[in-house]
Parts: sequence; structure tokens; C-alpha cells
Amino acid sequence: MAVNEKNILNRLYFIAGCMFIFGLAVVFKLLSIQFLQGDVYRAKATERVVKNDTIPANRGNVYSVNGNLLATSIPKYDIRLDALTSKAKTFEKYVKPLCDSLSKYSGKSSNKLEKDIRRARANRNRYFLLARNIGYSDYIRLRNFPLLNLGAFKGGLVVEQTTKREHPMGGIAQRTIGYERIDDKGNVTRPGIDGAFGVKYLRGVDGQRMKQQIGKGQWKPLSDANEIEPQDGYDVYTTIDVNIQDIAHHALLAQLEKYKADHGCVVVMETKTGEIRAISNLGRNKNGHYYERLNYAVGESHESGSTFKLMALAAAFEDKVTDTSDVVDTERGIISFYGKKVRDSKHGGYGKISVSKAFEVSSNTGIVKVIDQAYRKQPEKFVDRLYDMNLNNDLDLPIIGEPKPIIPDPRVKNGRWSGIALQWMAYGYGVSFTPLQTLTFYNAVANDGVMVKPRFLKEVKEFDKVIEPFEKEVINNQICSKETISKLQALLKNVVEKEHGTGHRLYSKNFSMAGKTGTCQKDYRDKEKLNYISSFAGYFPVENPKYSCIVVIHEPDKSVGYYGADVSGPVFKRVAQKIFTDTPIVDEVETLEVKMGAVEDEYQHYYKMSQKFKTIMPNLVGMPAMDALAFLENMQVDVKVKLDGNGIVKSQSVNKNTKLKNNQTVVLKAS
Amino acid sequence: MVRDTNKHFKFDWITIILFFLLVGFGWLNIMSASHTGTDLNYFDFSQPFGKQLVFIFLTFGLVILLLAIDAKFYERFSSVIYIVSMLSLVGLFLFGKTVNGATSWYAIGGMTLQPSEFAKTATALAVAKYVSDLNTNINSFKDQIRTFVIILIPALLVLLQNDTGSTIVYGAFFFVLYREGLPKYYLSIGVSIILLSVLSLKFGAIKTSIIALLFLIGFHFLSKKRLRIFQSIFILLVSIAISFGVKFFYQSILKPHQQDRISLWLRLEKDPQKLEQMKRTFAYNLNESEKAISSGGFTGKGFMEGTRTTGKFVPEQHTDYIFSTVGEEWGFLGSAFVVIVFVLLLLRILHLAELQKSQFSRVYGYGVASIIFIHFFINIGMVMGLIPTIGIPLPMFSYGGSGLWAFTILIFIFVKLDSNRINEW
Repeated sequence: MAVNEKNILNRLYFIAGCMFIFGLAVVFKLLSIQFLQGDVYRAKATERVVKNDTIPANRGNVYSVNGNLLATSIPKYDIRLDALTSKAKTFEKYVKPLCDSLSKYSGKSSNKLEKDIRRARANRNRYFLLARNIGYSDYIRLRNFPLLNLGAFKGGLVVEQTTKREHPMGGIAQRTIGYERIDDKGNVTRPGIDGAFGVKYLRGVDGQRMKQQIGKGQWKPLSDANEIEPQDGYDVYTTIDVNIQDIAHHALLAQLEKYKADHGCVVVMETKTGEIRAISNLGRNKNGHYYERLNYAVGESHESGSTFKLMALAAAFEDKVTDTSDVVDTERGIISFYGKKVRDSKHGGYGKISVSKAFEVSSNTGIVKVIDQAYRKQPEKFVDRLYDMNLNNDLDLPIIGEPKPIIPDPRVKNGRWSGIALQWMAYGYGVSFTPLQTLTFYNAVANDGVMVKPRFLKEVKEFDKVIEPFEKEVINNQICSKETISKLQALLKNVVEKEHGTGHRLYSKNFSMAGKTGTCQKDYRDKEKLNYISSFAGYFPVENPKYSCIVVIHEPDKSVGYYGADVSGPVFKRVAQKIFTDTPIVDEVETLEVKMGAVEDEYQHYYKMSQKFKTIMPNLVGMPAMDALAFLENMQVDVKVKLDGNGIVKSQSVNKNTKLKNNQTVVLKAS
Repeated sequence: MVRDTNKHFKFDWITIILFFLLVGFGWLNIMSASHTGTDLNYFDFSQPFGKQLVFIFLTFGLVILLLAIDAKFYERFSSVIYIVSMLSLVGLFLFGKTVNGATSWYAIGGMTLQPSEFAKTATALAVAKYVSDLNTNINSFKDQIRTFVIILIPALLVLLQNDTGSTIVYGAFFFVLYREGLPKYYLSIGVSIILLSVLSLKFGAIKTSIIALLFLIGFHFLSKKRLRIFQSIFILLVSIAISFGVKFFYQSILKPHQQDRISLWLRLEKDPQKLEQMKRTFAYNLNESEKAISSGGFTGKGFMEGTRTTGKFVPEQHTDYIFSTVGEEWGFLGSAFVVIVFVLLLLRILHLAELQKSQFSRVYGYGVASIIFIHFFINIGMVMGLIPTIGIPLPMFSYGGSGLWAFTILIFIFVKLDSNRINEW
């Protein structure tokens, strides 16, 4: 061997030395962890075991105007089993009954459940899912199942509560009721009312409580009271009327299905106040089903088509450049401007007709000619008149996503103005409004010229206390003269009433309606894609209008039909008819508040006495014994009262007008 | 008669006492780390501490059996034991059960058995047998290679089973071979490679290459034993190759979790936010374990009083991270006690090994000490953050039947061999 004695010893020392040095190193590291850096680690340790726990505030509810719940937060529970907590004996005793109970609850096989739970225990699973997302009553039921009823420490019950936003009325008005959702990255999506008023009213303020960790997943509060008490969110009462909403929703749905349209919306607004009673937005999914997809009524601006003729004539009447009885030549149904043609839907046109009739039959050439003749020289005057009627402003809605109206202006260089802009505007092209913006104008006409802002909120409440009421908001007290308004009202009435009117198919002798049809070409620059937007805007009843309503249906199947009167009109009629027949003539009852004289008098007497006799014995004879007793006990001296019998006081042991002392006994005899 | 008595009772009681001291203290800590619920039943065999108690009782039987077998049996049958053990490792690929990503277990009934634990003993026997063979000369390159093959077979098999920790244990045999006369340059090469790897990862390949160059120039002028110039250049080139190779190895061959562990150990990550994130993810264990140890202070919080232990803050605390329980509940005193007992045990075994007449016993003794040392080194080092995280149990201490029995067999074979040292072979 090449290794000599000394060499061997050196090698032994080397190896032993390695081990020894490592031992030393460990001891030094221990010293370092436990003493030198001890404070750092200890600080970290407490930081980890104490946390500031957030107590989420309850989100407020959203109600309809008649008090139905539209959106509410309800607790949901996930039930899990810590399969390891229970002792072997307990586990064996209860696992079978537990599985039987669970099987009855869920319909799953008891044997399968038992196998799964046993496996969970073998795999040391402390988080075995039994039920997810169950309601409170189911949670109470599960909590009483065998094994689980032993609680968290002996049975291994693990309960996690989450809060879910529910819409008890289902899919109705879902887009307008909306929601507020915060994703992992903190981005918030908040459509609708729930979203719009989330921060301000519904959310509330979260509370905070310091908690200390006492075991894995177990936290105990550090003090009795919360550091910051949570403040629950306020309830929001909307203007939505569930009944009208229901009618509108189903009428729209039926029509969308009939015409296989892409999407559509209907809005019903109370004429006087601007309160939105119903708003339904239905879009089609891939399977051809309709659901509340986007808030089209608020967010989708489109070229108006014929419904804009009302605005155009309003401007012309107001400027007195034309009148209803003026005669206009519709020129065989075609007129050209710079080579571009305006056509009437009726071949050959209507000949020479009155402006009034041109509106009622919705003659494009007629109206275009009127506007062209009146404003050709000074188109800015027409535009200004539209501006005067607040048509260029958005509605400043709380619900996000409302685009501004588009009105071409010769003075604004944004590429919208052209040589034919005025003429095309006259029958609703080049201008763009959302259904709600159009409706607001029609509602102003119905409301004798007072333009009110559409509103979704009635009031905000905390329990029964009103936090913030919302009043009618007037945008424009008088959009145009009374005279113009009554002309417009007559035109709208005639559209339905007159036999030549485009809306005559809606006519009913039982109740009156007024409105205007609109059939607007969409994507008309490309013949292949050419499609229609059918709309109907109006109000009812004609005399003293109660509601205005707009129906817009996009891209109906052309083979079935596309005229506003055919596609959208029936929805309007259905809504109007239903509301009309459902609404009683007088729908309010005065609150019953009858004052009862005797009660009032008695109270007055009693009150006076208590003010007068503070420490002096009053005359109680003739008073009901119960009242006399209460009276004496509430005096400013402590007297002991003995009551003999009940009924009316017959005599008293202390004479009246005697000063009473503390602890004095007064005996009352009553029959 | 007198001789007979000697024969039976000449077991080295110091080793035996130290062994059971560790086993007993280990069990107390397993109980602390694994009991759940409010009431404690020592014989709750569904719990780790209950099971461990059974394992410990069975250990006594195993000890008696091991000491009853004739000492010569171990030497004579070492080859057979080695082959059977290797076959059991190969068998894992066919019948093995995967736990925590490593295919290292046989499931027999409700029990699991980890053959790699026993393979260490078998390899120690085989190495002892081969090195002590009269025909073996550790200085000959051929025999060195053969010895390496004996060690590498089990090392590779466990590596293929995704059990990196156990693979590193086979590095322990370096100490054994070094003691038996393995040329010194192996040591120099080994230390150099480790140094170069660490430096290269920490400071980058280029800086490391420059350091290597400077070192060689210094060595060239200062050392008495001068290397020839082309030797120096060759060494330099190899060093540079290693420096760059390590980077490649780190980035392309190591798995992401292994990269993370090394990056944390060498503090390669400077971004405090990422560091904080690391502490919450893969470094969570280490972080929690350091906090637990730290919270113990000088005397500890007392048995079963460790809040972080009973609160189960440290994952895997009853197995690989058992030392953090000692740190928290028994404090510096308890931890130092454990370290001292381990060092005493190791030095005792080395001492006994040197006393052996038979080379087989001596080599085996070194094997035992080295294997325990590597386990101790890696486990304690990991728990305290001295070295990167490598999952490996603390001998005699950690929960687990296979581990406990494997170390029992490892140590008590040596105790038996030692009791036989004065007898003729």
C-alpha cells in the first residue's frame, strides 16, 4: 500500500475534521438565527401571525319601483370536510351515516361517497369538498349531518361563506340592473345600475378587525370590538316597474324571434317624470336564443331614419319656414342631389301632398324637399334649431357607455358635412342617436315641450330611511313653442289614426296611440350587407300621455319583413295595450289617517298631569289602574305602589296634593 | 465462559446509547410536529407519532436479529445483498409507487417500503468487500473505476427515480475511498469543481475563469511542486470549460425548482419583490423553518408548546424539517444537544473503524459514518439555509419506517462487526 501511517492519520483527521467543522458551523448558524438575527425573524413571525382581517360590508339591494327585489346579495356556502380531524373511532362510527345523509341530499351513491371520504382520509386530505355554493337552508341541513354536527374540531366541518349577487327576477332587465365585477387584476367592469351606483351607494364600507393566528387556518380576533365597523351599502330603488318590464321584455322577445332579428331594445318612460319603467335589451347568441346582452338602448347610437323626420319638421315649424298645410311635390318618388337619389318607399311617389301627409306616409322626398327648400341657403340655421332642442347633448346618464349624438354641422370641420348632408339629415341619415336619446325627444313632445331627463333611480334608502331621493330633472323647459308642439302631436296622432298613416296597422278604437315609424337602412354602402333598423317611437294615450315608448329592432330577416310599422310597431302596441288595460283609471288610494278624538284627549290630559305633578301626589281616582301605576312609577320620586284589584282606581292611600317622599308606599284600590 | 460473555457483551454501548438517544428524542419531536386535535393518544396508530412508535418497537427486534447473526455473514454475503438490493431498485420502475414526484416506494398492503434507504447499506457492504479484497489496489486506475461503478449503479438508479437527495448521499463514499488511499488529486479535483461551480454561478463564468488563471499563476510561482507549463494550461482550459459548462448545466439541465433553490441559496436574485415572492412559494418551507427555529430562543418554548409547530406552520415538519421542531421547542440548547450527539456518534464510529483489524470492517465503518454525516450535513444545512434545499431525512430523527430501519441496519451491522474485531477472521 502506498499509504503510510502518517498519511493515514492525516486522512483520518481530515475526515473527522470535516464532520467536526460542520458541527461547529451548524452551532454558529444556530446562534446566528436564534440570537443575532433573532429579532428580525421574530418580527417576521409575529407579522405573520397577526393580520388585519377585512369584514366585507353587505352590498345594498336593488329594488323595482314597486318594491320587488331586482338584485340582492345572498350568502352561499362551500362545505368541506377535514377528513383527518376526527378520531378513528368517531370517524368509523359516523362515516356511514354521514354518507347516507349526503346521498339523500345529493342523490349520489352512498357507497361511492364513503369510498371517496375514506380515500380522502387516507390521503390526509383536510379540504375534501362535500357541497359547493349551497344556500343557507341547505347549509343548516348539512351542518346537522352525522360527523359534521360534531363541529370543526371533532368532526372536521369546514365552512366557507361567500357572497353571490343574485337577480331574483331572472334575466329581465339584467343589463340595466347590471353588476359590478372586480377581476384578479383589480379591473372593474360595471354595467348598469348596480355598476353605476356601486361605489357611491351599494358597496358600503368594509370593516376591519385584527386577528391572531392560533393554528393552521384558525384565527381569533384580538379584541372584542371590531377596529372598524363595516357599514352596509344602501339600497337602491329603481324606477323599473316589474310588470311593465315583463310585458316589454316578452313583447320584444316574441317579435325578435318572429323576425329572427339580430338584436333589439324597448324602453318605456313615464312622460311627466322621465322615470324609466321598463328597459329591455335582447341580443341573439350563437344558438339563436335571445338574452340581455348589451345595453343597446343606452349605448348603441345609430342613424335614425324616419323617426328623425319629427325633429326635422319641429325645426322647420319653429322657424316658420313651412307649415302642415303647405303643399309639397314628391316628384314621382325620386329626387336627386349632386347625383345622389332620394327615393320613396312607394314607387312613383305620392304626387302633390300636404307636408302633414308627407309626414304621415313618411315620404322621404316630401320631407327632404321641405327642408331643402327651407334651409338650403342657411343650413346652420337648421342645425342651430336642432341644438336649441338639446338634440346635440348626451343625456348624462349614470350608466356608463352613452355615446354623444351626431349631428353634422357646416361650421365644424370633421368630415361629416357635405353638399347633401342637410338633405340626407332631413330623413334621418348622417345623424345618429341612441334609442334613449330619441325617446327623450319624443317624450318632450308628449310632455307639451318639457324635456325631462330619463331616470333609472327613484331613491336610495338605508332600511326605511331615505338617504337620497331623486327628483324629476328638466333638461329643457320648452324645447319649442306650444304651437309647434301641438302640430307635432297632431302629426304623430295621425300616423296611427289616419288610414294612409304608416302606423295605421297599430290603430285600435279602444285606446289611442301616437308615434312615428322608422325604417333605416344599415350598412347601405355595401349592397351585400344591406340591412335594416326598424323602429317605432311614440306615446300613449294621445290625450294627456302617460308613457312614451321606443322600440328599435336591428337587422330583421328581410324575407319576413323590415318596415318599422311591421317589425317594431307591434311591440309598441302590445306594451301600450297591456299597460292601458292593466292600469286602473285611479291608481292611488289616500292613506287612511283618522284621528280618534277620545284617545287624543286622554293623552293630552295625561301629559298635562305629568308635567304638573312631579313630586306631588295627583288625584288618580277615576283613572284606569294601569295608567295610574305607570304614572306613579314615572314620577320624579321613587314610590312603591301596591295595586289592589284592577280596572278604574276607586281610592288612593295618599291624599292628592301631598308631597311624596322616596320609598313611600302608595296603595291604590281599584274595581 | 469468560470469553463467551465477552463475545456477547462487547458491543460498543456508547454507539448504541447515542443511537437510541437520537431515536427517542426524534420521536418526541415527531409527536410535537404531527399530533392534531386537542387530546393526545400516544397509541393512535393513524397518526405519524403512533406509527413511529411501532417502528421503534420493531427496531428492537431488528437489533437483536442483526446482532445475533454471525459477523462473517455480512462479509460473505455482501455481494448477494448488493445484487438483491440493486434488483429491488430496478423493480421500482415496474412496480413502484410515486409519492411527491419520486418513484421510490413499494406499496405492500397498507405499508410503503423505500428500497433506496436500504441500498445505501448494501452499497457500503459491497464497497467494503471490494476495497478490502486482497486483489484490489485502490491506487490502480482500473480498480478505482470498478469501485466507482459499484457506487454509481445505485446512485444512477435513484436519480432516475427522481430522488436527487438520495443520489447525493452516494457522494459519501468519497470519504471512504479517500481514507483507503484514493490519490489526493481526486480530492483536489472534487473541491476545485465544487468551488468553480459555485463561483461561476455566483459571479459569472468570465470572472471565475480569471480567478482560476490568477490562482494557477500564483500556484506556479509559490508552490514547491511546480506543474509543467502545459499542465497548467490544460488545467486552466478545463477550469474555463467547467465554468461555462456549469452555467449551461444550470440553465438547461436543472429543473426550474432546482434552479430556484440554487438561486435562493447563492442569493442570485436581487429584486426584493421577487425575493418576497420566492419566500411565499418554494422558499416557504425554509422561511417558515428558520422562523420556527428563531422563535425558540435559548431554551425553547418547551415540549409540545411550540406554537409554530403545533400550528403546523412548517410543512413536512415531521419528516425532513424535524430539526425546526427541535429549534422551536428546545431552543438553542436542544439543537446544540442534537448536533453534539450526532458529532459524537460520527466521531465514535470513525474511532471504532480505525480500531478494526479487518479492512472490511474498517471500510464499512467509514461508510456508515460518511452516510450518516452526509444525511446530517444536507438535512441540517437545508433546514437552516446553509445549503440549497434537498429533500433528505435526518437519520434516526425523521418520521418514516424505512429510514429508521435502514439506519438501524447500517449502524448495527457495524456494531456487530466491531464486537467481533478481536476475533480471528
